[in-house]
Amino acid sequence: MLVNSDQIIEALIETIQMVAFSLLFSAVLGLPLGILLVVTRKGHLLENLPVFNVINGIINIFRSVPFIILMVAIIPVTRLIVGTSIGTAAAVVPLVFYAGPYIARLIENSLLEVDPGVLEAAQAMGATPAQIIFKFLIPEALSSLVLAFTIATIGLVGASAMAGAVGGGGLGDLAITYGYQRFDTMVMIITVGILVVMVQGLQTFGNILSKRIRRR
Amino acid sequence: MIEFQNLKKVYNSGGQQVAALNGIDLTINRGEIFGVIGFSGAGKSSLIRCVNWLEQPTSGRVIVDGYDLTALSAKEIREVKRNIGMVFQHFNLLNSKTVFANVAMPLFLAKVPKEEIKKRVGELLEFVGLSDKANNYPDQLSGGQKQRIGIARALATQPSILLCDEATSALDPQTTSSILDLLKKINREYNITILIITHEMAVIREICDRVAVIEAGKIIEEGTVFDVFSSPKTETARNFVSSVMNDQIPDSIKEIVEKNAGLQKIFRINFIGNSAGQPLLSQLAKKFDIHVNVLFGNITELQGTPFGNLIVEFQGAESEINRALMFISQEKVTVKEVKAHAS
Repeated sequence: MLVNSDQIIEALIETIQMVAFSLLFSAVLGLPLGILLVVTRKGHLLENLPVFNVINGIINIFRSVPFIILMVAIIPVTRLIVGTSIGTAAAVVPLVFYAGPYIARLIENSLLEVDPGVLEAAQAMGATPAQIIFKFLIPEALSSLVLAFTIATIGLVGASAMAGAVGGGGLGDLAITYGYQRFDTMVMIITVGILVVMVQGLQTFGNILSKRIRRR
Repeated sequence: MIEFQNLKKVYNSGGQQVAALNGIDLTINRGEIFGVIGFSGAGKSSLIRCVNWLEQPTSGRVIVDGYDLTALSAKEIREVKRNIGMVFQHFNLLNSKTVFANVAMPLFLAKVPKEEIKKRVGELLEFVGLSDKANNYPDQLSGGQKQRIGIARALATQPSILLCDEATSALDPQTTSSILDLLKKINREYNITILIITHEMAVIREICDRVAVIEAGKIIEEGTVFDVFSSPKTETARNFVSSVMNDQIPDSIKEIVEKNAGLQKIFRINFIGNSAGQPLLSQLAKKFDIHVNVLFGNITELQGTPFGNLIVEFQGAESEINRALMFISQEKVTVKEVKAHAS
């Protein structure tokens, strides 16, 4: 085998870092966008069609660019933010551009599942729009939101492996440079194996957490 | 008190203007239980939703406890809403929160201190008879229990008005009657004005003081429950009344009437109030030379007053029958001849 266990652990840590940071930033970006997508639509709490249409359109544009192209296309932006376009930190930028809009869509879906009757009851109680969003809409959707974030995290694990291909580091990088380009099958098997375990673990954790929230 | 003045609501559905409310003038007095009945699509839902501004009327006024909602800001309307509780057909409870948290919600939003919330919610759960369910979640409750929680929540901020939007339509008959008893108790003990909309005439008969019949966005009939039930004026009201009063002449009797058309004298006699307790028919048979044959009859209680409905045949000389009818008309009853092909 061309790599030692230290290199594998280092790559694993890089992957976890990439996923964790990009999840954090894309949640910060996606959560408000997802909420806005719901409350500004026609007939909803804060109906505002221009805002809805702009957000909706922008999200669609980002969602339609394949990640591998997005990564290259926004290199100038990445340089502007991180100072370089290579390395783990630099990979986080395209990952956020990729996962942020994705999370916004997932959150939109979860929030739309909430029974409109509950929001009506909130309005009847004289709740302000902010109270309706944070005391009714989000708590009612929480269990479904956890599942949405699980999907997003797993999506990020996959995308972060791709980011590795352009010098982002992590397990993907290892698999491409050693497993693919230098025909080291063992490295390929180990990295893919680790990714499979990560995804299984994340999904199981998400399922359990979501179930806990639904039925405390 | 709730006052609607020339209230109109027009929806724009696919380029077409649909008038849900077409000039409603209605006053609901303080402390009464007022029912609005109508078929689906008649506008009753829009009407009740205008009271707490879940829907904004296109024109006209809604005056709640002296506040003209059309003249208030969004913030002021939220304040007025604290004084209006609402109970929904599908309960609309938060499934992610316990029964306690659900009932506490309006108090929490009103920034009531925690200790006070705890005390008040305890009282409310006691009032609706579900103290033991405080820590349960709504999906662990039956429909009737959920509605009790909905009612407790609606009462949390001690409103002066309670709106019931088809509050019993999703419940079975037994649960319906226990919920109606609870509403009656609320009205009696707290003197809360209750506005109920429903398509079930039984609900109106059970608890309302006054009733309005709504059709095509207009109030077509309005009066005390007793008046509307005992002498409905419009076709729609008659239909609703007969849905619970069973005052239709049975087909088999109609057949007899038709067969002997012209030979028999058949009358419908309606007894109201105390007159239902008088032995009117036996008096007739004794005083006049006629035989009385009862074909059909029932007595219903309306707001604690008996209301009787009898279909009788008078046999005898025409002059005697006419004298008997004269006698009846002096009593507190109404009499109407039943003709063939009529009901």
